[in-house]
Amino acid sequence: MTDAAYHRPTTLDAALALKRDEPSARFIAGGTDLLVQLRKRKVAPAPLISLRNIPELCGVSVEDEAIRIGATTSLAELLRHEVIRRELRALGHALWTLASQQIRNVGTLGGNLCNASPAADTAPPLLAFDAAVELAGPKSRRTLPLASFLAGPGKTQLAAGELLSCVVVPRPPRGTQSAFLRQGRVAMDLSLASVAAFICIEDDRKAPVVRLAAGAVGPVPMRLRNAEATLVGRPLDAAALVAAAEAAAAEVSPINDLRSSANYRRRLVRVLCERALRQALGDKEIHHEG
Amino acid sequence: MRAELRFTLNGAAVEAFVQPQARLLDVLRDTLGATGTKEGCSEGECGACTVLIDGRAVASCLFPALEAEGKRVVTVEGLRQDNGDPSAVQRAFIDKGGVQCGFCTPGMVMATTALLAENPAPTDDEIRAGLVGNLCRCTGYVQIIDAVKQAAGELATKERS
Ligand SMILES: Cc1cc2nc3c(=O)[nH]c(=O)nc-3n(C[C@H](O)[C@H](O)[C@H](O)COP(=O)(O)OP(=O)(O)OC[C@H]3O[C@@H](n4cnc5c(N)ncnc54)[C@H](O)[C@@H]3O)c2cc1C
Ligand code: FES
Ligand code: FES
Repeated sequence: MTDAAYHRPTTLDAALALKRDEPSARFIAGGTDLLVQLRKRKVAPAPLISLRNIPELCGVSVEDEAIRIGATTSLAELLRHEVIRRELRALGHALWTLASQQIRNVGTLGGNLCNASPAADTAPPLLAFDAAVELAGPKSRRTLPLASFLAGPGKTQLAAGELLSCVVVPRPPRGTQSAFLRQGRVAMDLSLASVAAFICIEDDRKAPVVRLAAGAVGPVPMRLRNAEATLVGRPLDAAALVAAAEAAAAEVSPINDLRSSANYRRRLVRVLCERALRQALGDKEIHHEG
Repeated sequence: MRAELRFTLNGAAVEAFVQPQARLLDVLRDTLGATGTKEGCSEGECGACTVLIDGRAVASCLFPALEAEGKRVVTVEGLRQDNGDPSAVQRAFIDKGGVQCGFCTPGMVMATTALLAENPAPTDDEIRAGLVGNLCRCTGYVQIIDAVKQAAGELATKERS
């Protein structure tokens, strides 16, 4: 236990000012990643600036074009949110299997993204929904696509003194379906691999839009662009889904670690990708050969 | 350096002077002497330290004590009914043999209390999902799931009467 300070600012400006005055301090939201890292000495003791008491960083607002999720909105609150459950199903699936009620009640969406674990479960669905993040710094505000915000294991594009203020998810058009599937060793364990699928079929005359993303199979959660490309201009039949799943397995770059081998993770991606597409399409339209 | 902290613990106003980054778990056990809440893993995995904050289950080993300022904290010591009897959830754990060594029990009981407040009639799968953050090395969970079902049934009967 250290004697280091614990600050509880109540405005965004005050939080940024504290960080400017004390650059070695760390932001803390729910603390479900950071406090474990501090305890295990993976992170050196530091003054902490809590983001939990800042109303402007918390809560969901549903606008015509986008769903805006404040960075410190808890994972549990997102899971309870009716519009999120209905329109962002894949995110709902990810939240449902993420940790436990105890962790979801305090862990935040911003914390899950800023911790930048390759296995962060909210990232693949948010990538599939083409989400953006808003960053607030002492001098300026900026917006980045989530895909460029995530920079490597434990790394983001946050500049010194900057924090994540909001996650912006475009409202999916009518005709959108989505799904998220993950495989862990046991309940409550990190994902070995996960896949999110977004499919929008606005009407019969328009080509479907498909976006796919995977987690825990590369340095950052990633869009599966090759797999998406295989589906362009092609009916989404069983053969197409298999081809996409194979492309997905080929484009990921999983590692061997104590949880699983790279090879197994790659196979999981193939299976999860096909199943996620199938689930998003609604099983009935697709017939499994054999 | 110590910081002043005030919150409601099991219905009573309490006050403590704590290290700024102290965990709620330590303040409960060491400063306030409420040792019903247990420390298992200290990393959010086992659920032994579960308490309710404003009605929601949290792992007190990962909860900065200062964030409890002004909040309602309930621990296992606060569950008994006004007449001193155990709560329906506590009773059910006793009746169904959901307690063996008892180390996980305070956390199990708190997590169950929160689960049933949010979902009064959970399915078996919903019970398992609700208690996924609580580990038990003794019971094999079958008796615990039975206990949750008994408690849900009792609370539903009470609600109707
Ligand atoms: C038992 C257990 C199981 C878990 N299981 C899963 C799982 O299955 N899947 C999964 O994805 N995660 C899991 N987690 C990890 C964790 O709960 C999530 O990543 C959570 O969303 C982190 O949010 P937080 O608010 O607690 O982050 P914190 O710990 O508060 O912060 C994490 C990091 O992000 C920084 N940070 C936080 N918010 C901001 C912000 N707004 N701006 C800038 N920087 C910020 C902090 O400085 C810190 O470095 C698990 C954790 C535990 C303890
Ligand atoms: S001691 Fe808190 S979850 Fe194990
Ligand atoms: S009764 Fe012993 S750990 Fe659960």
